[in-house]
Amino acid sequence: MNVETLPLLPHQESNCKVELPYPNFHALLKAKAAEAPSREFLIFPESDRRYTYQQFYEISLAASEWLTSRTRQHGTICIAFRNTPEFLAIYFGAVARGITVVPINPDLAAAEIRFIIEDSDCEAVFYDPDLEGKVAPLRREMTVAFHPFGNVADLPPVDTQKAETNLPKVEPNTPAAIIYTSGTTGYPKGVVLSHLNFIVDGMGMAEWFEFTPATRSLCILPLFHNNGLVVSTTTTLFAGGSIVMIDPKASLRSFWALVDRYRATHTSVMPSILAAILAMGFDGKRGQLEGIICGGQLLPLSLAHRFEDRFGVPIFEGFGSTEAASYSSFNRFPASRRKLGSVGTVLPVCEMKVVDENDVEVPDGTEGEICIRGANVAIGYHKLPELQAQKFRNGWYHSGDYGLRDSDGHYYFRSRKDDLIVKGGEKIYPAEIENVLSKHPNVTESAVIGVDDAILGQEICAFAHLKDANATSESELLKFCAQSLARFKRPKRIVVINRLGDMPELPKGPTKKILYRVLRDYHERRLGNSEDPEGLKWVLGSMGG
Amino acid sequence: MTLQELYAEVSPVAMQILQIPQFDSSVNMSSTPEWDSLNHVQLLSAIERKFAVEISPDEAFKLTSADRLVQYLHGILKAKQ
Repeated sequence: MNVETLPLLPHQESNCKVELPYPNFHALLKAKAAEAPSREFLIFPESDRRYTYQQFYEISLAASEWLTSRTRQHGTICIAFRNTPEFLAIYFGAVARGITVVPINPDLAAAEIRFIIEDSDCEAVFYDPDLEGKVAPLRREMTVAFHPFGNVADLPPVDTQKAETNLPKVEPNTPAAIIYTSGTTGYPKGVVLSHLNFIVDGMGMAEWFEFTPATRSLCILPLFHNNGLVVSTTTTLFAGGSIVMIDPKASLRSFWALVDRYRATHTSVMPSILAAILAMGFDGKRGQLEGIICGGQLLPLSLAHRFEDRFGVPIFEGFGSTEAASYSSFNRFPASRRKLGSVGTVLPVCEMKVVDENDVEVPDGTEGEICIRGANVAIGYHKLPELQAQKFRNGWYHSGDYGLRDSDGHYYFRSRKDDLIVKGGEKIYPAEIENVLSKHPNVTESAVIGVDDAILGQEICAFAHLKDANATSESELLKFCAQSLARFKRPKRIVVINRLGDMPELPKGPTKKILYRVLRDYHERRLGNSEDPEGLKWVLGSMGG
Repeated sequence: MTLQELYAEVSPVAMQILQIPQFDSSVNMSSTPEWDSLNHVQLLSAIERKFAVEISPDEAFKLTSADRLVQYLHGILKAKQ
């Protein structure tokens, strides 16, 4: 069907001619299973489990049937798994029933998980039994149903034809997932993405990179983020290829061994992963890897050059956001067509432009805010009408990312409009950490900034003003943060500002707004060199990097 | 060295690197936020140095729980003897 014939939101309309071959995820999986039932689809090396297209199609139907007695059609569920068959079985099984899935990062703090469960209005939570220790207190306190799900092999077998007839009609615009990302207010915001969004974006990338059934993706980014779910999974599924799924936390040391053993042709990473792999001192050209898809944070050109020189694998940098399913632009494939330093040209499924503060498109070469529209752009935010109106206006999604387009259509990312911190690809708004610090009885106010980090891109530094400057140590404040924040959101350093001789107060403008830029400058001038590199340099040194 | 003795040797190293209060058979990567990708690299490097062994990159991604790690280490130490 032609996307133009669907009821689209204003920011999903564009001048792109997009044919949607499959109306929903289940139709996509079913078609691929029918095309090549015995072709390998999923490989999970950690647990030695492999599934063909037909096997996984049957598993998804079995999961779908299993879900019928545990949730209702078109309801919402939360899932907390790592990159396992169980994640994908529940995901595909649920979306086949028109259920909206909310993936949860298992490493979030209990309070953060609770917020997502409550905010998403989900009716059930499905989780890896390994997370029992974290889930148990939530289960005792919350009314929502919790279901451990340990192994797809435990799913009762189903009659596939009968199971097919039990499935409801799922329209392309049906929400498939709500992905929670950091929010400016300090609370995560849910981005509602439809089957249409995922499939169109996956299709756009599969065609861009000329994926075929011979494509083998190595998925080392988490499925609970869009990168794992779209770039590695949907894209490869669309092409009928195969995916090697690894727990992202265990993949770094084995990266090249996995590429070699499974003859991976593509993978998707954050720049911080490239930096870490380089630092670990591996060597040798890897010809079978046709390309590395990279984004999520600024890719320094010097890092890209060093990586490509050492390993001979081209990096394809792109620009994207959760609100646009994943990527909206990429450097051209094959590598000879790239323009390094840019985030590439627009995928054929959407449109991008750069606007000034009055929402007027600026000439090429002029910096402004990057906007996106098209069928890959999300339905919007979950229960946040004001933010929705602010970010999705005048028929475009306003990304909050500043950059420019050159005369031949390549886009360049420059900076964020706000103070978003991107640490190893994870996006964190200062308010999330400031809200936690403000609950400490001795903290009067605080401000959090991102500071440069050689591997992660950015680290977190908090400035806290105390009522009694000597009553609380920095390590006590760090421990306080650890009670409520996921590990990746915790500041690496907390500076008690009233102990600084030359800046005893948080810098503020005439309207009493904290001047984050001044704090960043101060950190760079006065504190940057004294940053304790913690274990990082030790790691790199020990690896010979 | 028995598995139990090996646990006693590995635990202080793991507790220090992962900054966790205990490292026993209940600990796994899934439920331990502190056991992240950089700490995994750091942990395996520390174990290699302490026990003078080499952990194969073909196996490193499978060592996602305390039990798996200690059992693997037990195996390669035994093979060295």
